[in-house]
Formats: sequence, C-alpha cells, structure tokens
Amino acid sequence: MGMSFGKYVAYRLINAVIILFLAVLLMSALFTKLATIQLTAQVNEEVQMWVRSYTQTHHTQPSQELIEQYKQTRIKYYHLDQPYWKRTWEYAINTFFFKWGQSFQKVFGTTVITDQIKTALARTVLLFTTAEILVIIIGLALGIKSARSPGSLLDRTISILAMVTTSLPMWWLGMLMILVFVVYLGWLPITLYSQVQVSGWANILKKMSLPVVTIVINLFGGWAWTTRNIMIGTMQEDFIMVARAKGVPERKIIYGHALKAAAPPIITMVIFGLIGSLGGAMITEIVFNWPGMGRLYYEALQLNAVKTMMALNYMFAILTVLSMVLADILYAYLDPRIRIGAAARS
Amino acid sequence: MRWVDFKDSVRRFWEDYKHQKSGMFGLFFLIVLIVLAIAAPYITSPDVPKEWQTGTAWVTNPKNAPPSWENYFVSETRAPQVEYTIDDLHLTKAQNGSYTVYTMTFTYDMRYDIPPKDIVITGLNSTAERPQDNPLVTMYVERPKENGLKYNSLMLLYNVQLPSSGVVQLAYTQEVKSLIFYWLYENGIFTLPMQIPEDLPMDMKMMYLTQQVQMNSTLYGYYQSMDPMKVIFGKMTDNGKLRTLDQIVNSPEALQGTYKFTIVVTVPSDVQVDFSNFKVALVGRTYGLLGTDQYGRPIALGLLWGIRVALAIGIAVSVSTVLIGVLIGVTSAYLGGWADEAIQRFTEFMMTLPVLPMLILLSLYFGGKINLKQLVFILVLFGWMGTTKVARSMALQIKEQTYVEAARALGASTGRIVFKHIVPQLLPYAFASIALSVPGAILSEAGLSFLGLTSNNMITWGQMLNAANANGATLNGYWWQVIPPGLAIAFVGLIFVLIGVSLDTVLNPKLKRA
Repeated sequence: MGMSFGKYVAYRLINAVIILFLAVLLMSALFTKLATIQLTAQVNEEVQMWVRSYTQTHHTQPSQELIEQYKQTRIKYYHLDQPYWKRTWEYAINTFFFKWGQSFQKVFGTTVITDQIKTALARTVLLFTTAEILVIIIGLALGIKSARSPGSLLDRTISILAMVTTSLPMWWLGMLMILVFVVYLGWLPITLYSQVQVSGWANILKKMSLPVVTIVINLFGGWAWTTRNIMIGTMQEDFIMVARAKGVPERKIIYGHALKAAAPPIITMVIFGLIGSLGGAMITEIVFNWPGMGRLYYEALQLNAVKTMMALNYMFAILTVLSMVLADILYAYLDPRIRIGAAARS
Repeated sequence: MRWVDFKDSVRRFWEDYKHQKSGMFGLFFLIVLIVLAIAAPYITSPDVPKEWQTGTAWVTNPKNAPPSWENYFVSETRAPQVEYTIDDLHLTKAQNGSYTVYTMTFTYDMRYDIPPKDIVITGLNSTAERPQDNPLVTMYVERPKENGLKYNSLMLLYNVQLPSSGVVQLAYTQEVKSLIFYWLYENGIFTLPMQIPEDLPMDMKMMYLTQQVQMNSTLYGYYQSMDPMKVIFGKMTDNGKLRTLDQIVNSPEALQGTYKFTIVVTVPSDVQVDFSNFKVALVGRTYGLLGTDQYGRPIALGLLWGIRVALAIGIAVSVSTVLIGVLIGVTSAYLGGWADEAIQRFTEFMMTLPVLPMLILLSLYFGGKINLKQLVFILVLFGWMGTTKVARSMALQIKEQTYVEAARALGASTGRIVFKHIVPQLLPYAFASIALSVPGAILSEAGLSFLGLTSNNMITWGQMLNAANANGATLNGYWWQVIPPGLAIAFVGLIFVLIGVSLDTVLNPKLKRA
C-alpha cells in the first residue's frame, strides 16, 4: 500500500524515459554503422570534388600529401576519426535531445530534419486520430451490442469480420479502396492520390476520407470482437448477477456496472491494438500518398537519408512508449489494485 | 508419456477437432496449399524463380494484360495470348541449291474485336558463326477472303536475319510497316506518283516505296501512326468496296476468320538449326487466368510460387517465436527472483520498440535486400515477447501445483521439472498460438517486401504488390495486379486463424463454453 496515484505516474514516466533512452542507444548503434558507410562515401565524394576544383584553379593536380590532408579534415569534420562506440553514444544523446541536424538530401522540401518531422507528424496525427476515434466508437458500440446477445447474427458476423480483417494487410485494403472509389466509381479525382501534396483544407479533408475509411474497416472488427469477449467475461461475474437479482435495469447493468469493470482491459487492448496497427498505418500512408510519417519514412528510405530515418525511428519509439505508459496509467486510474501491486513490487 | 497414451490422446484430440467446422475448413485448405507449394515446380517449370527477375523468359508475353476471362464481361472482346511451339507447327524441310529451306505453317482463328498486340518469333538456335550465315526468316499470311480485295496474301517479313537467342517483334519492326504499305498499294488502297515496276526484286521495291512515302507528308503520317497488327487483322473492304487508307489506319475494324501463317527459314546447308525452343507468340491483349504485370510476368505464376515463401516464412517464424517465447517464459517463471526480474524488464523493453521501424532498420543493417533466413531471424527477434508474457504467467500457476512441489521434493532436477511437468502443460497453448501467429509473420513479410527491403531472389506476394505499386497499378486500374496477391495473403492468414481458433477451443477446455 501507500503509493499515491501521483507517485505511480512519476514512477511510470521515469521508467519510460529510461526505456526510451535504451531504445535510442540500440537504434543509434545500428544506425551509426549505416551512417558510417554513407559518410565514408560522402568524404570520398567531397575529396574528389575538391581535387577537381583545385586542378581548375591551380592548373595542376594537388599532391598526394595535400589530398590526404584534406581528406583528414573532412574525416574529422564528420567525426569519422572517433571510435564507433563514442559516435554511437554521441548520436544517441543528440537524437534523444532532439538535436537532429540536417539530412544530406532534401526530403519534404527541406534538409532540416525537425521541420521534415513537424509537417509529417501533424498530418499523421490528423489522419490517425480521426480514424481511431471512429474505430473506438464503432468498435465499442458493436462489441457491447453483440455481447448482449452472444450467438446472434450480429455476433457471428463480427467474429468472422474480426478473423478476416486481422489477416488483411491494411495497406492492401487501401489499394483496393483507391481501385474501387477512385478508378472505377470515380467518386474522388485521381489527382488527389497520384500526388503527395494537395492544397486547401477542403482537398485535404477529401484526401483524408479514403485512408480514414480504410483504417476503420481494417480495425473496427477486431476491436468489436475484443470488447465483446471482455464484456461477456464480465457479464458472467457475480456482481452482475447480484445487480440483476436486485432488479437493476439491463441498460444500467451494461453501461453502469459491466462497462465500468471491463474498461481497464478494454483500454489496454485498444492501446495495444493502436500500437500494433502503427506499421500498417505507415504503409497505408505510402499507398495513399499521404504526407505523414510513413510517407516521410518511405521517401527517406528511397533517398537513403539515414539521419531522417533515425529521427523517425525515435519518434515512433516515443509514440509507442507514450502509448504504453498511457495504457498503464489509465489502467491504474481505473483499477486501483494495479497501483498496489506496483507498490508491493518496488 | 508412453506411446499408447500418446496415440490415445492424439486420437481423442482428432475426435474433438473433427467437429470444428471452421477448423476442418482451414485444415483442408492448408493441405491444398501445401500440395500446391510442393507441386509448383512440376505444374510449371523449376526454372521459374531463376527467370522471375531476369525477364528474358517473359519477352513473348504482353505487359499489363488483363485476364482473358474479362472478355465475358466486356462488349469488345480482346485476343488472348496464343503460343505455337514446334509441336504445333507443321514443319517441312527442302533443299534449294546450297541452302536448306524449312517451311512451317499454322492457322490462327481470329474471332475477337481487337486483334493480338504483336507477333513475336523467338528461340531459333543455329550453329551459324558468321552473321551472314544466320537464318533468314520470311513470313506471310493468307487472310480470310474478302470480296473486292485483289490479294489476300500478305508478306510480313522478308529475309530477316534471326541470330541465336534473337527476337523478332513484328509490331515494332519498320520493315513490317513497309511490307504492309506495299500490300495496301498493290491492292489499290492508295496510289503513288511513280508506279513501282513489277519486275524489280523485293528489296528494290521496298526502297522505291519508302522513298515515296517519306516524301509525302500525308502518307508518311499514316505510315507512322499505323498499328501494324490492326491492319494485318483488319478489314480492307466495306460491302465489297475498298476502305480508304484513313479508315484502315485510324478506324480499324477487325476481320474475323481463319488466318493461315507461313514461316520460311532459309539457312546455308552446313548450318544446323535447332527448333526445339522455337516459339511464335500471338501476343494477347489479355493473358491467361490472372493477366500479367508490367514485365509480362503472369500473375497466376507468381501467386502459385508465392505460396512457398508465405508458408515457409509463416511456419518458420511462428514455430520459432512460440518455442523461444515459451522457453524464455517458463525459464523466467521457474528461476524467479532477480533472473525473472531481468528477463521481464528485457521483454518489456523489446515490446516498447516500434516493430516496423525496427524491422526496416535491421533490414538496412543487413544490407537493404534481406534473404529468407535474415527475414525469419528479424521477425523472430521481434516476435517472441507476447508468448513469453503468457507462458510465464501460466508457468507461475503450474509451478505452485502440488505435483510440481512433490516432484521437487523427490529431488527432480530443474530441467526435468521444466520439460516434464511445466512445458507439456503449455503445449496446447503453444500449438494454438503457433497457428495464430502465422498471419502476423506473413503480413510483416508482405510489408517489408512492399517497401522493397527483401531479396529479389524469392517470389513473394508482398513483392508482387510492391511491383504493382511501382507500376501505379491502382491508379491505372490494373486490378489483376493488386487484388490476387492481397487476397492470397488474407486467405493464408485466415486459414491459420481458423485452425488456431479451433485448436484453442479443443485444447483449452476452459474456452469451450464461450
């Protein structure tokens, strides 16, 4: 006993920051190797360019010594002279404190990585949040409804839907949506999805419609099914029986008693589901040419913009860790037993 | 466990499983898929994986062609792919001075509104060492008779050199256009300012013709914009009256009927010719069961071969992740104390890493084009944590059971307790979760392949979708490149979900009532 809610939140947050730093360190170790390959190529290119301009101005080739000297300054400039682990550490620290610097290549029209990510993050949040809110509302409503009558047509439909959609790639569903609604039915203009940037709020909302529908179709079945299973479990508990015996109206039993008790596991499942669908959502953005983080990652991948990818990986790690902490905190808030457990453990 | 007990429990399991309708459905299709995966090299050709990337094997195929059965749903029927090999061609051999002359004939029944896209001749191998010894190919076609048309025999190729491994694509050969124009001229469809003398050799006639066509901008315009195939297979007359050149070139109408083709191959007598790979393709506007992609590769073929990688990845990854996950979980639970704590913290750490970005990062770390083994490795690396969590909590419960305590009191070793008493209890859960984690592995593979991070040496459905995306298949409406691979992924996933859910119901009696 004894740990207050505030203390618990603080404990979880500190824990999260430590985990996040370790994750960055691991990613940095992998990325530094990739960056080394790229920077070595960059140094060689710069040396060649320097030799060419030297030859043009001095009308003679620079001596081998001079070339070597220039090469060393460039190697120093990119910190390639330092040992692998030191660079990994520095890279991790810089990434962790959002000092991302610049990419060699222009991605999303700029080389400043912070700007690249700011634009992309806003778009991803807009798309994903809208879709998730719809999924939660539809999923919860259908899940509760089918929990009230297990074995009904709705219930069986949802079970089948959940099984089918969990094995569907979300991004493939997106391709299908474009095929049906843009190419065959022509409800939306092709230019909306053939180009990345569209101007005007009306067009952005229009462009958003198909990916939102895609995400909702892909996810609502699974969530409805999870909600249903948890609700059915809760409805068999003794306190529901007691409430029923007392003559509490069925509506109140479901929304008042059962949902309240089922909320913590549902929220956990919802948030884990959200994290699980992140990868699919990234590729879905690519399919719809939606200028979010997934699309940015794809462009960085094509251009081999290593530093942009590292920053993106960090952002995805932050999103994942934050969601998990949020799940934990919400769970603790709704179910005080958890806090006690954590306190007993620590 | 004794053999009899084992047999008995398998039999009891099967009795239960048999009644699971969806489980049996899944099992049936799993067997079908396994049979198809094994049979793929025998149904098609064992060289398919090698040829898939090189593209030379697909040169006779149309690019981006829809499936042939689309013809049943459209108003204008389009010619499907037809190929003639040496078995379909009637081959005769004759001697003409110091040359050997091979004559081949075949008939083509053209009953479509849009004729074939191209005629391709390939696979003629000879022992010719000097270019002048290469086989010379002449080809002509006898078209269905038309009232009011003087000549219905049309020369398409005249002594064209065909070196070994060479290809003649009629639709893209300039000489074909000239020969067609000459035939149109002879039939009086258009006139030339200077008559072409009848007694000149063929190549001189061609020179005469092309010079005059190039001087006349109207004629030259028709010459340039003409689709040779639509003229070869086109109507020259309307109700017995000749059509104009403009009608023939700009609004071609298909002439349906039987076309009799003749191919004459002339080689110096000392040169040997091998016809075993010889192929004449009437390149379709539609192709086979599921059409082709932008390289002319048949989608159906990719779909069939993709089963192998999908099953290999799905099963390898799910079995490894679940076994590793169960072992780590059980060990963690059994050891307890700081070891358990450390393992749990590490598991949680791995769970907080964003999966797809980490998979991309590791793929890049392995060089950007990862092979099957590397793919399985990284998918296992990021897949074992969920099982570990569940296995640990189940093992913690089992550990407190009295018979485990009894075994320990009797002096059983840790290994014996874990493998003899705890792991067997977890097997039902493990089997079900192996089946249930297959779809995730296949989806991850598809995602990474879609991003272009997997090796081109394997044929996977994800790579087919990657090719479709690169081809703009969705916005171009090439549905046959998009829908089948995705459906295949979903179908295999669904099969394993059905099997997994049924296993869960049968093996975990607690769930039976739900």
